Amino acid sequence: MRGTGSSGFPYLLKGVISLTKKARSISAKQKRAGWLFLLVASVMIFIFSFYPMISALFMSLKTGSAANMKWADPVTFNYSRMFQDKTFMKSVGNTFLYLIIQVPIMLILAILLAQLLNNKDLKFKGFFRTCVFLPCAISLVSYALIFRSLFATQGLVNMIPTNLHLIDENINWLGQTGTARFVIIFALVWRWTGYNMVFFLAGLQNIEYSVYEAAKIDGATGWKTFWYITVPLLRPVIIMTFIMSINGTLQLFDESVNLTNGGPANTTITMSHYIYNNAFGVGVANFGYASAMSFFVLILVAILAAINLKVGDTRD
Amino acid sequence: MKRKILSILLAGAMAATMLTACGGAPAAPAADAGAGEEAAAAEEEAAAPAADVASEGEHELSVYAWDANFNIPALQAAEAAYKAVDPDFTLNIITQSGSQDVEQAVTLAASAGDYSSLPDIVLFQDHYIQRFVADYPDAWQDLEDAGIDWTNLGAEKISYSTINGKHYGAPVDNGTAVFAYRTDVLEECGYTIDDVTSISWEKWLEIAREVKEKTGYAMLSMDHSGDDLPYMMLQAEGLSQWKDNTTPVLVGNDAFKSIIEVIVEGANDGTIILANSWGDYTDQTIIGNQVAGVMNGNWIIPTIEQVDENSGKWAITTLPTLEGGKEGYASNGGSSLYITANCSKPELARDFLAYTFGGGDGAIETYDAALKNGGVITCCISAGKSDVYQEGVEYFNGQAIYADIVEMGSHVPVIQQSDFHYNLRTLINTLITNVQNGADIDSEIQSAQDQIEFEIAGSTN
Amino acid sequence: MTEKKNRSVVQRRLIPSYIFLALFSLFSVFPLFWMVTAATNNTVDVARGKIWFGTEAAVNFKNLLAAAVAQGSGATLGSFMGNSFLYATAQTILCVFICSLAGYGFELYHDKGKDTLFAILLMAMMIPGVATMIPLFGMMSKLHFLNKVWGFILPAVSTPFMIMMFRQNSRNFPVDILEAARIDGLSEFAIFFYMYMPVMKATYAAAAVITFMNAWNAYLWPRVVLTDSSAQTMPILIANMSNGYTVDYGMLMMGVLFCSVPTMVIFFILQKQFAEGITGAVK
Repeated sequence: MRGTGSSGFPYLLKGVISLTKKARSISAKQKRAGWLFLLVASVMIFIFSFYPMISALFMSLKTGSAANMKWADPVTFNYSRMFQDKTFMKSVGNTFLYLIIQVPIMLILAILLAQLLNNKDLKFKGFFRTCVFLPCAISLVSYALIFRSLFATQGLVNMIPTNLHLIDENINWLGQTGTARFVIIFALVWRWTGYNMVFFLAGLQNIEYSVYEAAKIDGATGWKTFWYITVPLLRPVIIMTFIMSINGTLQLFDESVNLTNGGPANTTITMSHYIYNNAFGVGVANFGYASAMSFFVLILVAILAAINLKVGDTRD
Repeated sequence: MKRKILSILLAGAMAATMLTACGGAPAAPAADAGAGEEAAAAEEEAAAPAADVASEGEHELSVYAWDANFNIPALQAAEAAYKAVDPDFTLNIITQSGSQDVEQAVTLAASAGDYSSLPDIVLFQDHYIQRFVADYPDAWQDLEDAGIDWTNLGAEKISYSTINGKHYGAPVDNGTAVFAYRTDVLEECGYTIDDVTSISWEKWLEIAREVKEKTGYAMLSMDHSGDDLPYMMLQAEGLSQWKDNTTPVLVGNDAFKSIIEVIVEGANDGTIILANSWGDYTDQTIIGNQVAGVMNGNWIIPTIEQVDENSGKWAITTLPTLEGGKEGYASNGGSSLYITANCSKPELARDFLAYTFGGGDGAIETYDAALKNGGVITCCISAGKSDVYQEGVEYFNGQAIYADIVEMGSHVPVIQQSDFHYNLRTLINTLITNVQNGADIDSEIQSAQDQIEFEIAGSTN
Repeated sequence: MTEKKNRSVVQRRLIPSYIFLALFSLFSVFPLFWMVTAATNNTVDVARGKIWFGTEAAVNFKNLLAAAVAQGSGATLGSFMGNSFLYATAQTILCVFICSLAGYGFELYHDKGKDTLFAILLMAMMIPGVATMIPLFGMMSKLHFLNKVWGFILPAVSTPFMIMMFRQNSRNFPVDILEAARIDGLSEFAIFFYMYMPVMKATYAAAAVITFMNAWNAYLWPRVVLTDSSAQTMPILIANMSNGYTVDYGMLMMGVLFCSVPTMVIFFILQKQFAEGITGAVK
């Protein structure tokens, strides 16, 4: 689920900026044509996103089994319930932990890789770029299986240090809280760094080379150029990838399900995983509660995105 | 490079399709190209099979099931057996990734208020069916008129699929739990299979420590992501975690607490391995040859048998108990077949189930083949008397384990069940992990009890 | 002479870059390499972390074919691959077409009303998939779109992300062309088909790669809407094979390989256009 259709939300920034752009004068006929162009796409989003969202909103105010749901008493029952739900609160904590640790690591690596790949003297550029991007081509179901096998107690990751006699006993990677969280973060970095790198690389290619030449003449070193020229110019892309990653991480699902199944003792479970468990996963379907928790996630994404835009937008 | 060549070879044709698709869209006469592709897509779709998974033919039934190495061979065996009644009969078995897929399909159909998306028959997990029948009564058709002799089927098994006195399910397997031991490892420490039968868990831990010390083998392992040990151990005592179906009894349940203590002690000693996942449990601990004992539903036997070099070294017996001095009987896992509301041929479906899994004339043929091809053991008493069941099994040193299991199955006590079985299982799993990490057992039991009450309250408001 | 020397100095300075890039490339590719070797090993070797190629590829492939047939309803490995292709291709074509129309409309005809609508559409990205899955299933069930290509693609054919991407890229579309074409008397839609689409090739390629990958790799929604084996896709087959009392990991990895190769090949082929298209999007 992560990073799929929802990953473009970041462009909100651009949308907001474009509001201020002065309108070209166009005729009424052209105006009509303009509406026709976006009719199909808009109608489809209303039918297949907003209508279900509103259904889910009503559902979040109800309780009972899927076939006969009734209004909750009080109607906010599901909403107040989630704050007393220790497992859900744990899943919120876990998700934020991933957000705080994994997102910065991934984005810094992505910028660094993009910066290195943007050097015009570098050879084998295409080869490196392809290698780094390749993990995104693989499906989430597949990559979770690969990582689960690699990090199994007798898996490959344990074989190497054992054979070199670095460790006496195989590490139970997925069985302990700390290491299990590490594996999830590691897998996420593996899967998504290349994806973000592509956006940074594209951003860097839009920066005129003359800017760097000028900096060179002024005697700026590599790191200085990076911090004082590249990073500020890349700011829109950084904000974009940041919001993309926040959205993706808050909706993180597959890794929690397929790598650790939320364990041990729910210490790696994510919000979306717990929501799914309430809707379908563990026996008793509780659509009302699952929907309510989904809206909690939606509000979190909106708040974090807004903060991000606010922080990133100081210049304008 | 090798990968690249391989990939191009494998998917060259597909890539070509894609290229024409992508190239077509932006080109000048794109409108036509795009429309053409769409039309082609629509045509292909029309050629695809009908949306309905319900069967169409008069002699055909469709069924959702999971596990290609277990349930599905059993269903294939039944299909073959029923051809004696109806030579044109076909059973369309639609594989699912697991029991949760079937549950999801029923839940979604119920939420849409339209059961026409369901097949004729579904295989359904025993622990959930009570709740699903209670919540979605319109989704099922009962088996009352199927002419099945219910007394011929294991009472404990049938207790799951009997709701408000009505029989809904035809049992496929028998979940009777066995405790299998490596007799060669026991012997090394001076024990026989009889020395580990009817013993107390305390004694068991003692032996386990000795085995671990002398041979390095752990005595037991369990998939800790779905820990079934406490449930089976309690059932062997004739006790449950539940009272009146919805009231959890963890706090003040001395047997429950003792069982948790046994598991934690074993885990700390290294005599019980708590594996991370089902895959680790089977592949690493059992096939990976780390344990001298396996305790689970008898469906675990095919997994044990995967290690060729241990043939002839295993034997099965019953479970230990807290007090010792008696044999413990339990069951774990298992599922049954249910006819959905969408089945338009309930007569055929009932007759098929009665004839095969229900203990009818085709039961012996069905179960003999199911046992051979999938290791599925019947809970049908008459089918368990067939010659195949009396044969000694080489892997278990000639022990007639199947007959033994059917016999054990008849002793499994019927205990209180709950729709929240798996919710509680998840919480007990957390409890064990926390206690193992040094948390206080009483407060952990209390918080598990609080959490399960919280979960029950949330879905019954 | 000096130029040559300079070049070698530059290359020498780049050594740390090469090392870092090589290490990161290894990190990125290694799990994929292992996926390929695992597909040639038997289940015990995979479970025990064997790193090199084995000799079981043919056996694993044969088992994979059998496992696909065992899914029932007349499904085969070909049907799983074929369905994945059909759905992903159909979704790619429709999505790219519909979203490019909208992106073009939002950018080149933009006014207050359209900008507001655009901001509203963006909110659709924040909705967690789990929440809308339940109502969407009811909708598809009523429309009789279960197990149909429409059921699979409709919810994903128009996405705010793709509209954005086309809208951003449309800024690079020279307005002069538009004006000139209008003077020549071309209708608004003709301009789109004959002027805009050919110019925006790279954007279409980037959008197609992303959409195809998303559609091909989708799991949660297809699992819900495709209930019949003969209508299901590769990721579902893999998930089906990875659960059960006993799992054959060699065969499973062969399945994973089959599921991964097409998207990788498409990326290989279109990567240049892909990079260009993304560059346009972040301008």
